[in-house]
Amino acid sequence: MTGKTESMEEWLSQLRTNKEIMENVTYWHTQPARPSRTVVLPEEVHPKLAQALAAKGIRELYTHQAAAFRSVTAGRHVVTVTPTASGKTLCYNLPVLQTLLHDDSARALYLFPTKALAQDQVAELQELANLMEADIKTHTYDGDTPPTVRQAIRNAGHIVVTNPDMLHSAILPHHTKWVKLFENIRYIVIDELHAYRGVFGSHVANVIRRLKRICKFYGSSPQFLCASATIRNPKEHAERLIGEPVDLNDDNGAPAGEKHLVFYNPPVVNKQLGIRRSSVLESQKLAGSLLKDGIQTIVFARSRVRVEILLTYLQDLVKKELGTKSIRGYRGGYLPKLRREIERGLRSGEIRGVVSTNALELGIDIGQLQACVLNGYPGSIASTWQQSGRAGRRHGSSVTFLVASSNPLDQYLIQNPNYFLGTAPEEARIHPDNLLILLDHVKCAAYELPFEDGDKFGEEKLSDLLEFLAEEKVLHHVGTRWYWMEQGFPAHNISLRSAAQENFIIIDMTAGHKVIGEVDRFGAPTLIHEEAIYLHEGVQYQVEKLDYPEKKAYVREVNVDYFTDANLATELKVLHIDQEAQEGPLLRQYGEVTVTAKPTIFKKIRLRTHENIGSGPIHLPEEELQTSGYWFSFSEEETAKRSANDMQMALLGLANVLVHLAPLHLMCDPLDIRVVPQVKDIHHKRPTIYFYDRYPGGIGLSQRLYELHGELLKEAGRLIRGCGCQSGCPACVGPIEEVGLLGKQLALSLLDGLRVPS
Amino acid sequence: MSGLKERLERLRASAMAAQAAEKRDEAESTEWSARESASSPTSAEEAAKLHPAFRRLGVEECTNEAGSFLLRRIVYPYPYRHGRYALEDLRLCAPHLQPVAWRQNRSDKKKRWVPETADEFPAPEASGLLFLDTETTGLGVGTGNVPFMIGIGRYRQDAFVVEQTLIRHPGEERAMLTWLQEQFRGVTHLVTYNGRTFDWPVLVNRFILNGWRRSSAEPGHLDLLHPSRALWKYTLPTCRLSTVEEERLGIIREQDVPGSLAPELYVRYLGDGNPEHLYGVYVHNEKDVLTLASLAVHFGHLLGGGLGTAAEEPTDAEERFRTGAWLEQHGQPSEAERLYDLLAEATEQGEGGGEIGWRLALAAKYKRLGSLHRAVPMWEQAASLAEASRLPRLEAHLELAMYYEHRLKDFASALRYAESALGLARRRASLVRLSAAGRQERERLERRVNRLKRKLLREQLEKTAGFAE
Repeated sequence: MTGKTESMEEWLSQLRTNKEIMENVTYWHTQPARPSRTVVLPEEVHPKLAQALAAKGIRELYTHQAAAFRSVTAGRHVVTVTPTASGKTLCYNLPVLQTLLHDDSARALYLFPTKALAQDQVAELQELANLMEADIKTHTYDGDTPPTVRQAIRNAGHIVVTNPDMLHSAILPHHTKWVKLFENIRYIVIDELHAYRGVFGSHVANVIRRLKRICKFYGSSPQFLCASATIRNPKEHAERLIGEPVDLNDDNGAPAGEKHLVFYNPPVVNKQLGIRRSSVLESQKLAGSLLKDGIQTIVFARSRVRVEILLTYLQDLVKKELGTKSIRGYRGGYLPKLRREIERGLRSGEIRGVVSTNALELGIDIGQLQACVLNGYPGSIASTWQQSGRAGRRHGSSVTFLVASSNPLDQYLIQNPNYFLGTAPEEARIHPDNLLILLDHVKCAAYELPFEDGDKFGEEKLSDLLEFLAEEKVLHHVGTRWYWMEQGFPAHNISLRSAAQENFIIIDMTAGHKVIGEVDRFGAPTLIHEEAIYLHEGVQYQVEKLDYPEKKAYVREVNVDYFTDANLATELKVLHIDQEAQEGPLLRQYGEVTVTAKPTIFKKIRLRTHENIGSGPIHLPEEELQTSGYWFSFSEEETAKRSANDMQMALLGLANVLVHLAPLHLMCDPLDIRVVPQVKDIHHKRPTIYFYDRYPGGIGLSQRLYELHGELLKEAGRLIRGCGCQSGCPACVGPIEEVGLLGKQLALSLLDGLRVPS
Repeated sequence: MSGLKERLERLRASAMAAQAAEKRDEAESTEWSARESASSPTSAEEAAKLHPAFRRLGVEECTNEAGSFLLRRIVYPYPYRHGRYALEDLRLCAPHLQPVAWRQNRSDKKKRWVPETADEFPAPEASGLLFLDTETTGLGVGTGNVPFMIGIGRYRQDAFVVEQTLIRHPGEERAMLTWLQEQFRGVTHLVTYNGRTFDWPVLVNRFILNGWRRSSAEPGHLDLLHPSRALWKYTLPTCRLSTVEEERLGIIREQDVPGSLAPELYVRYLGDGNPEHLYGVYVHNEKDVLTLASLAVHFGHLLGGGLGTAAEEPTDAEERFRTGAWLEQHGQPSEAERLYDLLAEATEQGEGGGEIGWRLALAAKYKRLGSLHRAVPMWEQAASLAEASRLPRLEAHLELAMYYEHRLKDFASALRYAESALGLARRRASLVRLSAAGRQERERLERRVNRLKRKLLREQLEKTAGFAE
């Protein structure tokens, strides 16, 4: 330790005496240390394996590791759900290695959501194989695998570690090259199961359907060994994802040190307007204090921009004590080499602090840190636990600060800590039968192997889908079979991650041409439009040219005192109504909608003070989205009770609250669901609030909201009433600049008119 | 939730609307012709009756235990010439292809043919060759790409025989593969054009998908794309079979249907069951198989000492050099020597065309052999060609600078070459982005120029000093 305080305990006791900080602490939750619970290594474990484990200091198994071993031995599919750093990987490595030691021809396939995780895993398996002195070949198979070794891996790799994208586009469509694997596959390991949710998860569920189909063709029926971070519905989620019944294994036997969770609400600086001090500045203060005392700290921020801003602040703050290189940023757009370097530095302790997006939420091995600062509520209870799990060792204390931002959801949680602590983490939801996703994968599956009449693929009626594709001349129906009959290679045009294949490259032209990062397609219109300030590793760049067709942004280093923020204009059309219900003055409906979105202007916002200092137009093509939506409109009588202007303010205020509440109930990224208020919508000519899934065809989010409707409105009323502000603030209906002086009151009266029971 | 079919219809409607917006005038004509084709007549029963148009093509139905498919058989009795070469010459030429087969079928990827190891790979016999070309429904070697037509050609005692399979629908594939599998009996080599990376892997996919498994008894490869590239990569605009046959084998096709159209034509045939769509594909595939045989004869002559007699001697200097290099790799050093000598003579007479590539390569060879008297004139020619080039190469100047500096100790000439090399490097830099290697090269050049200047100065000082004494 390089620090000045002796221990975490000492640092915390000093904190408790710091009045300035403690004033803002709304709740201090302490989880006591938990002892380990172990059982002896099962007798049947192969002696070589037992010996290798002993060499690693493992002589007993945690209860959950033993339970997984039992389930697998009994031939069941398993999902293990335990917190970060509880020895989860052994839950699947143990049974897999056990089988491979007994049967050299057996094979296993490991899936991780990212390449980085796959590489970590291979290193661990290779170490075990060496300790066992067994010839067990483990390889990653991904875009970085050199062509020269690919054939060897296909024929001789016992454990092939890859990602769903590679499985989808390279392995399954070429399954004939993998005969050895598919004929002998015994286990399919899927770690980080919780990462496969939403659109990505819906795609992955279909890739797994295809995988099972290919396995069946080669006469194998592998067992699925899954592992997940804590979510409310691990068993259900695993079962939906793999389409098989699974054993749930969640009896965590790993020890944990004492853990402090501190709820911190930045002080109010303007009571009238309900404005609090910036959460960025407060996070910076807390993280700075931890870092200066030598405590290795991770800071999570919700957006890339936040990451970069915090990084700049922190590097500046502790420049003298630590030097800028010991505090690093980490996020999706960084190139892999840089990320590996940062992960290594964190493990070795050379890097003392890291500011990250949720990219580090996944199980990338960075060792265990002592403190964690969450700048803003991460959006879900599961993510919060996952991120705070980055701080916490098996022995000794750790601390997590949840620093609330001024958005309504954060404010709700910070003032109702029991809601957070008392509620189970969210559900992971997927919708594998989204029509577009399903059709895409039916195509890929048909390419891989013709369909037979009577085959099943997903929950929808397959024969209708096949007929549709035959009419589109994609398939050809002869006798009882449906054959792929197009020139193309379907997997190439289908990306599992909505935008992954269409990333924009950021090219720095300050000195020659250098690629410094990338941004996905959805991010591009708002992050790298021309004149935008793009932040990378704490350095500011201005976008000089955005080559939209070529997906390239040319940037140049600048030094300005502002960042940019872009606006999107959205238009909505209802295509079809699937369900509706009239309740009092409110008509709620669920169905298909078309959304057109176009970025319009961007604002320049001064660093630190966050004041608006200018704006400019954005010229980019409009994007159309056909998806599912849920909306409710107010009756004419209800509308007639107030002026159009008041109605607008009321709707806006209500929408501002709902947009934050909806993701809480859906465990989705706030960006996955959109809310649009309209005073006179095109369809009903009435005041309406629309919600839609931000993915073609919808992924079931709006549908769920349609069901949650009553609860959602009730929650909205509770939040607005519970807010301490006088007439609206960013923490509830929005700032008064936006919703007017009566915003809060208008929104409440609109809700009251609905007689929502509270 | 509305019905699946309704949703599919809406999906189609929205896709159509998007298309319509793009090309409004075309929309009318393309409006759902799918309706009619949905009732396409290629149901298994109807296809069982052979369409008269197939008969006119000489196509017959072939049935085995796995079902039926169509087969067309064309016999070319000897003597038969396809372009410049007689196909009966295969008997003599096939064994000469031994070094090619040796190089392509070794696992250790050795480059140069070593006659002592010949036993491992006995010389091919004409009767063991199977010329093979497939027409597929798509691109790439994924599992969804189906060869709908497989053309094979074989050398027989009295005639060259081409056989072409066709599946009327993908359900006939197994029968076709069963038949094909039988044809592999006695085959030692598949003669193809890019078959090692395309036709064969695609066929392997089909065999595996139909339940076969790979065995060690698979035939070897004679993929003629590789020698074609070695010979003509620098002289022909492309190394496509159609280019090669026209430019080097004297074969002209009239009204050829390009192979790239085959998938579309097959889909059209599947749509309406009219075999006429496939006429062009049949003819194209048949000619491809014949050309493969003709090309094998060509390479056989080259390796059998027939250059300048049975096969035309290349006149272009670049091609002459590439041919020499290829012959050298394939166990014909004296023939290669003869070609190199011709190039050296041409160089001495100031001839040899405008190519720099062969000059540098051959000069490098002579340098290794210590024959600088042959290398230097080639470098000099290459250097003057480079100076006239828009995107100059520096190698010749560098070689000459080294030669004058170290061999002749003629620092003034060396400096002249080094300086003009530096000039060329700057010209290059203004046209292409400088790579790290390029930058290093330039730095090395600058050091060389400085060193030469120093040497020259010292030499001059010594001379003047000598006078003074």
